[in-house]
Amino acid sequence: MRSIELVVITVVVLALALLIAVAYENIIPSTAVRKVAEFYLYAAYNPFDLREYTAMSPEAVTSIVWDFRGLDTLFETAVFFLALIAGMALARGLYRETPQFKSEGLSLIVKSVTKITAPVIIAVGVSIGLHGHLTPGGGFQGGSVIAVAPMIFIVIFSVYFVLERGVAPSKMLVLRSLGLAGIGLTSVVLFMIALLRGSFAYVFQNMIKPGASISMPAEISGALISGTLWFFNFFEMLAVAAGFSMAFVVVVLMRFGKGE
Amino acid sequence: MTAVISGETLVYLAMALASVLSTIATYMAVKERDLIRAVVYSALQSGFYSILYYLLAAPDIVLVYIPVAVGLVPGVLIVLISKTERWEKE
Repeated sequence: MRSIELVVITVVVLALALLIAVAYENIIPSTAVRKVAEFYLYAAYNPFDLREYTAMSPEAVTSIVWDFRGLDTLFETAVFFLALIAGMALARGLYRETPQFKSEGLSLIVKSVTKITAPVIIAVGVSIGLHGHLTPGGGFQGGSVIAVAPMIFIVIFSVYFVLERGVAPSKMLVLRSLGLAGIGLTSVVLFMIALLRGSFAYVFQNMIKPGASISMPAEISGALISGTLWFFNFFEMLAVAAGFSMAFVVVVLMRFGKGE
Repeated sequence: MTAVISGETLVYLAMALASVLSTIATYMAVKERDLIRAVVYSALQSGFYSILYYLLAAPDIVLVYIPVAVGLVPGVLIVLISKTERWEKE
């Protein structure tokens, strides 16, 4: 019975692979699409002859994600946090934030190793997040790497160790909301400044655009920050790290039915 | 006559190997009755997927895929399994 199953699966996988190979030979995206890709790559960092369209970021992916197609990412972030809010609403009343008893955790060796590696994990996450406009990575990537550190602490030490150090769901909720508010503020700050000055700017504008001469700073004392991209990455990192940590702490703390 | 294997061929071979191994890991994860081991197989499959993403020149996806699929999701799943039953019934 098991051998028949294996044969069927193998045949299906091979047939799918063949189908994809054949499709790759026959279906080629139209050249109109390639023009868009070429433009994005050309305009990502181009202060020379495309000053009115560039995002001033050598990382093409981040400049597409947070500048050219920034509104898409805003709504993706909104969906992620709506899902998180729904989860928190379901978990209401099923957990307590106050430490109830002390837990031993794993052995001293494992604990010492964790104390050394966890700061490194957080440092790598912050580096991935804050260099999102220069190297691969960005706010979501950095935030989810940071969120691994509290998870390791929960497994190795205990959830109460983490709670005593301040990674409580209520505090994480505040941090997450700060991140979201930061993303919202960053997207309208140029618009507000232009409104006060009586000039014109777009919502979600980064560098100067045709008809809107106001711009975010592309660099601060020689260090490239690519205008809004650095701020978006920073606030997204805060929000994602806090959101994931909150979800994990709540899942560990939850008691189904009995207890209380 | 020397056999010439270019770097590109090697990359394609590595991709083929990673995809085949990820398919096997998926099969093991579906068939496994012990849910903890199934989670480990699923994380293994994600590891092969991240190799694939890296070889397809998408490092941005790799950086989000590794912490989420190897760190956070198995963590949440193992905690949830510990609150129910470890063995899948018929």
